[in-house]
Order: sequence, then C-alpha cells, then structure tokens
Amino acid sequence: MKFNKGQLLVFTPAAVLVIILVVAPAWVDISILSLLTKILIFGLLAMSLDVVFGYIGLWSFCHAALFGVAAYANGILISRFDITNFFLVAPLSILAAAVAAAFLAWIALRMSGIYFLLITLALGQMIFSVAFVWRKITGGSQGLINIPYPDIGIDFSSAGFYYFTLIITLLCGIALHRFLKSPFGYSLQGIRENETRMIALGFNTWRHKFIAFVVSGAFAGMAGILYTHYNGIIMPRGVDMAASGLIVIMVLIGGAGTLWGGLIGAGVIYMLSYYVSLVTPERWPLILGACFVAAVIFARGGIYPQLCRLWNRVITPKSGPANPEEG
Amino acid sequence: MDVAIVSILSGISSGVVLFLVAAGLSFVLGLMGIVNIAHGAMVMTGAYAGINVAKASGSLILGGLAGALLSGLVALLLERGFLRNLYKLHLEQILVTFGFVYIIANIHLWVYGAWPLSAYVPPSLSGSVTIGQFSFSVFRIVIIVIGIVFCPILWWVQDRTKIGAIIRAGMDDPEMAAVIGINLRPINIAVFFTAACIAGFAGVIGAFPLGGVNLGLGQEMIFMAIAVVVVGGVGSIQGAFTGALLIGVCTSLAGTYLSKAAIFVPYFLMIAILIFRPQGLFGKS
Repeated sequence: MKFNKGQLLVFTPAAVLVIILVVAPAWVDISILSLLTKILIFGLLAMSLDVVFGYIGLWSFCHAALFGVAAYANGILISRFDITNFFLVAPLSILAAAVAAAFLAWIALRMSGIYFLLITLALGQMIFSVAFVWRKITGGSQGLINIPYPDIGIDFSSAGFYYFTLIITLLCGIALHRFLKSPFGYSLQGIRENETRMIALGFNTWRHKFIAFVVSGAFAGMAGILYTHYNGIIMPRGVDMAASGLIVIMVLIGGAGTLWGGLIGAGVIYMLSYYVSLVTPERWPLILGACFVAAVIFARGGIYPQLCRLWNRVITPKSGPANPEEG
Repeated sequence: MDVAIVSILSGISSGVVLFLVAAGLSFVLGLMGIVNIAHGAMVMTGAYAGINVAKASGSLILGGLAGALLSGLVALLLERGFLRNLYKLHLEQILVTFGFVYIIANIHLWVYGAWPLSAYVPPSLSGSVTIGQFSFSVFRIVIIVIGIVFCPILWWVQDRTKIGAIIRAGMDDPEMAAVIGINLRPINIAVFFTAACIAGFAGVIGAFPLGGVNLGLGQEMIFMAIAVVVVGGVGSIQGAFTGALLIGVCTSLAGTYLSKAAIFVPYFLMIAILIFRPQGLFGKS
C-alpha cells in the first residue's frame, strides 16, 4: 500500500502509540505492565461493544456477560477438561460467545432503544446467574482458578503475554475496522441514522443487526479468553451488570461510534482505577460512580473525536485539508 | 397440598414487595421515559435507614416512614440535581442513574459497614401460624395485607383521580397534554419522588422475605423489577401487580419443587413474554 503525505500524517499518532506500546515493557515495572495488559484486553472488549453500541445504536448492556461466556468456556475447557492448546480452545470459546450472542440477539432484537437496554441487562444477568449457580462446572461464587498462560508452544513471561495481548488486540481492532468500513459496516450506520429508510431501500435490517451483534459477541469473547489467561481466575462478579456498565462507560468516554475510542476509554478508566486505588481503594466505587456522572455531563461525544479534531488542527496548515479520521 | 399453599402464600408476600418496587420503576419509565437503574438502590437506602430507625425506636411504622422519606429525598436529589438536565437523553439518564448505583452502595458501605443487616420484625408480629403441618410467619401475612391495601389505593389513584388521569395523559402523549395546559413537570417530580418513597418502604418490610439486606440489594432488586415490568408491561398498576405476583409465586413454587433452578424463573417468564407478547401482559402495543 502507498500512502500520500496527508494519510501518513493522519496515521502518525496511531503509529507513535503503537511504538510506545511496543517499547513500553523495557521502561515500566511489572505492575504498570499488568495494567497495560488489562487496558488492552478491556479496550478490545469496549471496541467490540462499540460495533453495536456506537455504530448501530443498539444499547447493549450485556457485553461483560458475552465476554464471560468465552472466559468461562476457556476456563472450563482448560481446568475441567485439560484441553490446553490455545488454537483449539480459543475458537471453541469464541464460538460459545457467538452462540450466546446469537441467542441474546434473537430475543432482545424484538425491542429497541431503552427497552433493548433493559432486556440485554436482564439477559446478561441471567448468564451471571448461570455462572453463580452451576457450581459443579463454573465453581460458583469462587469461580475458576489457576488458569495458566495460553498454551501456544512457548513459555510466557508477563512481558511475553503483554505482547501476545497487544498483537491480538491490534489484529482484532484492524479486523473490526475493516468490518466497519465494508459496505456491510456502512449499512449498520445507515440503520442507526434511519432504520425505516434502510428497510425501504430493501435492507433486511434485522439480519444486519443480528449479524453485527454476533460478530461483536465473538470479539468480546476474544477479550474474555485473554482475560482468563491474564487474570488466572474468572469469577461471576467479573461478568455481572456492573461489569457491563463499566464497558459501556468506557465506550462513551472514548467516544461511541469511533471504534478505537474504546481503547482510550479503557485506558482512562483503568489508569484512574489504578492510581485511585493506590490512595483510597475502598472509595474507588464512589469515584467510579462520579466518573459515570461526569462522563455523561461533561464528556458527551467522548475523547477520541476531540483528539482527532486537535490533531487535524495541528496538521492542517502544513498539509492542506486532511480527512478527519472519523469513525 | 399444604406445601403448595405455604409456597404460594410466601410467593405472594414476595410478590407484594416486588410489586411495590416495580410499580414505581414502571411509572417513572412510562411517564418520564427514564429507566431508573438506581431504583434498586432506593430500595436499599430505605431498607438500611428504615431498619436501623425501627430497631432503635422499636416501631416498624416509624422505620417504614423514615426509610420511605430518605429514599424519596435521595430520589429528589437525583432528579433535581442531575436528571432534569438530561431531559429526553434516555441513554445519558440511564448512565447517570447507573453511576448512582455505585455511589449509593459505596456510601452505604461507608456508613453501615459491609455486614448484612437482618430484618426488623416487631415482637407482636414475630409469631407464626400453622397451615397443616407447616408454619407460616405472621409477618408475611402482614406484608400480604399491606399489598391488599396498597394495590387498590394505587389502582384507584391511577384510574379514578384527576392526578391519575393527568399521569395517564402524560404517558400517552406528553405534547398533547402540554398543549391542553397540563404542566407535567411537577407531576414528573411527584411521581419520581413517590416511586422512590414506596420503594424505600418496600425495602423496610421486604427485608424479611428477602432474609435480610446487604449491599448487593440494589442490583438484585433492579433485575427483579425489570423482569416484572417486562412481564407486566410498562406504566400500569395492574401490569406491575400481575407481573410481580406471577414472578413471586412462580419463583416460590420453583424454589419448593425444583430448588436451585428457581432463580431462573423470572428470566424464563421474561423471555417467554418477549417472544409471545413483547409489549407485556398489560402493555399497549
């Protein structure tokens, strides 16, 4: 591929960010590295949510549960059935998340707007309940423990796992980007803007929404798989309504409908969580709640579009009108 | 047979509590278009404050009033301070109330500590009656009576009073209601406040059938209330009542005969309703 100068300038910040992320392990200590890994994993989850949340305007409140289905499937296959090969376990776990997403979509797509949100919230909690009650398989409230790093034939250090996560997150991000820039992806935005017109134009909007939801669920599942390996433990609490709400707020802080904004949102939330918890761990939920409120009141539209605007202002005088890197 | 009777009665008493919680959620949703995720946290606020007052004063009535009032005040703060600035921004409203779930739960942790709180049952109501070879607590009967009193009153307010007519008009067509000179704003605030008061009161008496309260109550109640609203339909007393009793009784029966699967009953009912009657049993399509 050949880029002209304008395009290169547009991609510069992304390239700089990737380079920083690549060299980071040499400079930061292990707790920050762990924080970065977590941000990448939840950034991927937030990006997957943005596909339905920002691009179609389906307010899904169950993505932590879809994430959880794959996380549990991964944990169960590894710790209960001793199937450890990543290239076998991961596709199966993603399949589980996609099937769960298909089921939830089949039910919840009867509704739209706040009712869609309500239904997905309740259905997500149903998945949480399964994890909580089915003690024999899921370990109940204790969850599944001692899940090792993924088995891909090499020994992982924490830096190694960080790179593994970075690569997968970037690949998934690029895949989602391509998906959203395809004609199908644009049709999703059409549905968000005016579903009636899309129906009049002959689109089967139900099928489009359904497919997008399943794709989104599959990528959420990928994040879930990374999370079980990262954390070593998966507990019901990680997949409940509070977790789903957190992902939504990440998307909104980053900017709904911008895809990569999800990474920024995850970064903001977990950086804040990390540093607040150093000072006052027991008050973190209070501050998180205040973040929800502040994000809604002050940061409507999100950070990512603001950054794009800022960057465009920096580069425009030199290189002529550059295309704003919109989502 | 006696098992079934006891199970159904205890289901009805849980259903009454659920009705008191869900009715408020349903009306706020129908009238203002707000899904108040913090509605469950209002139940918790009322429960903690009310039970502590009741234990200190020895009066359940005083406790109930204190719980209702505090919940109402918190709701008023939420509406006046935040939600009114987000008029018609449904998603933003939901997220603000969602943030308040964290805030309220953390403040409760701060004030009351992490230990669960047992229900307050006045000594005069702590006995039980026997049904066949099973005993059934008097307090649950009191809750059923409260339901029998409350439901017709709310129904009457909804269907037979001017306020009720205004509320129904506001739900059907707010623009038209405004055109004919109805100022919906005070009505909205009053409904929001009353909904939280009733939820707070429900927390005080509901602590008994729930087996005490803890900091997870806010989350637990909001799910049940959402399930009730989906099953019964939005914005009607009869819908909330039917949904709540259906879920309460079915869950109780499933708990008696199927044990663990009981917690899935609300979800199954909800899914079934969504498939066969998406607007809910009493909802308008």
